[in-house]
Amino acid sequence: MTPAVELEGTSRSFGQGHTAVVALHPTDLRVAAGEFLAVMGPSGSGKTTLLSLIGGLDKPSSGRVIVEGKDVGSLHPRDLAVLRRRTVGYVFQDLNLLPGLTARENVSLPLELDGRPARAARDAASAVLETLGLGTLGDRYPDDLSGGEQQRVAIARAMVGERAILLADEPTGALDSITGESVMRLLRRHCDDGGTVILVTHDAAHAAWADRVVFLRDGRVVDETQPARLGAA
Amino acid sequence: MSVKHGLLALLAEAPRHGYQLKTDFERRTGGSWALNIGQVYTTLQRLERDGLVELAGSNGDRHDYRITPAGRDQLSEWFVAPVVPEGPPRDELTIKVLLAVAASDVDVTEILQRQRTASVEQLQAYTRRKAQADPEKDLGFLLMLDALIFRTEAEIRWLDASEARIRDAAGKAAKTGGGQE
Repeated sequence: MTPAVELEGTSRSFGQGHTAVVALHPTDLRVAAGEFLAVMGPSGSGKTTLLSLIGGLDKPSSGRVIVEGKDVGSLHPRDLAVLRRRTVGYVFQDLNLLPGLTARENVSLPLELDGRPARAARDAASAVLETLGLGTLGDRYPDDLSGGEQQRVAIARAMVGERAILLADEPTGALDSITGESVMRLLRRHCDDGGTVILVTHDAAHAAWADRVVFLRDGRVVDETQPARLGAA
Repeated sequence: MSVKHGLLALLAEAPRHGYQLKTDFERRTGGSWALNIGQVYTTLQRLERDGLVELAGSNGDRHDYRITPAGRDQLSEWFVAPVVPEGPPRDELTIKVLLAVAASDVDVTEILQRQRTASVEQLQAYTRRKAQADPEKDLGFLLMLDALIFRTEAEIRWLDASEARIRDAAGKAAKTGGGQE
């Protein structure tokens, strides 16, 4: 089966010569479709760089990034834009919802920007909100939602249009642990339904929702958990 | 704590016999603490001797016990008294890392990472059980899992902080040209 995401000798450095800073040393990584992968590491370990490369927001200095069988680096900018709009969804710590739009309008926005008729986009947004148990929030404005509700709406926005791969960078930010847990449950569910999640976090309790955790240090993968060992714990 | 307070807490709700106490205790503590029935009976005998419980009635071999007013007093004292650990814990991980830092031929970062991986795997196992639990029916079990999760999380945070502190110290030692001495 084609992995959802594959890195082949992927590296990223900034600057040149003596002053070059390596954010990510050549890295190989495969993430299966339906897998929930967490990437843990201290600040500056290369976590966010890794996520930006996978999301096509940044280009590798060497090696390849393959998403759903497509080499992201060799895609025409137009095709890359399509991949980003239709296949990959992002959830960031401060992914602000637009305050002038309701939760449903926020969720339907990516589809409308992608050229879907407003009615179809709205129906798809309602459906995803319903699936995530957020149906009652659809008509409310972001200011009327709690932090946890806003972040769950942001996840709905990342998932709408059946985007298979979710990339999440510290999505629980300043939420308390029980509210943070409700966000992790949504990500877990996306994988249980066949989607793929790559979560970047320094928080072990959140990483523990993943099937596999890889540890980054100084731009290198230094270890990873073995899902097979979990049964014994 | 002792089994004693657990039995008093159950008897404060309603009289129970020994086997009921055993099963209810195990259920309440989220399955984290298995009691043997002999332990339940010896504890009941001691509680009866101290006037904290008394026999409420017998039906053949089955003896129902109930809590006395003195037992209630002791139970409420126990509930309101905060739990304070006795002295610094000598846990193996802490001691291992302290000894590794002092040893010159040990890669402490590697030890910390191995432990981190194992602790995160443990956390994954707990989280899986949490994900499957029913928040309404399994409240006690969820609270116990939370306790295990937070403790493991604290251990991982300590590993992270130790690594940062050791790096920091190594960086400073390199700058001043000094060693560990």
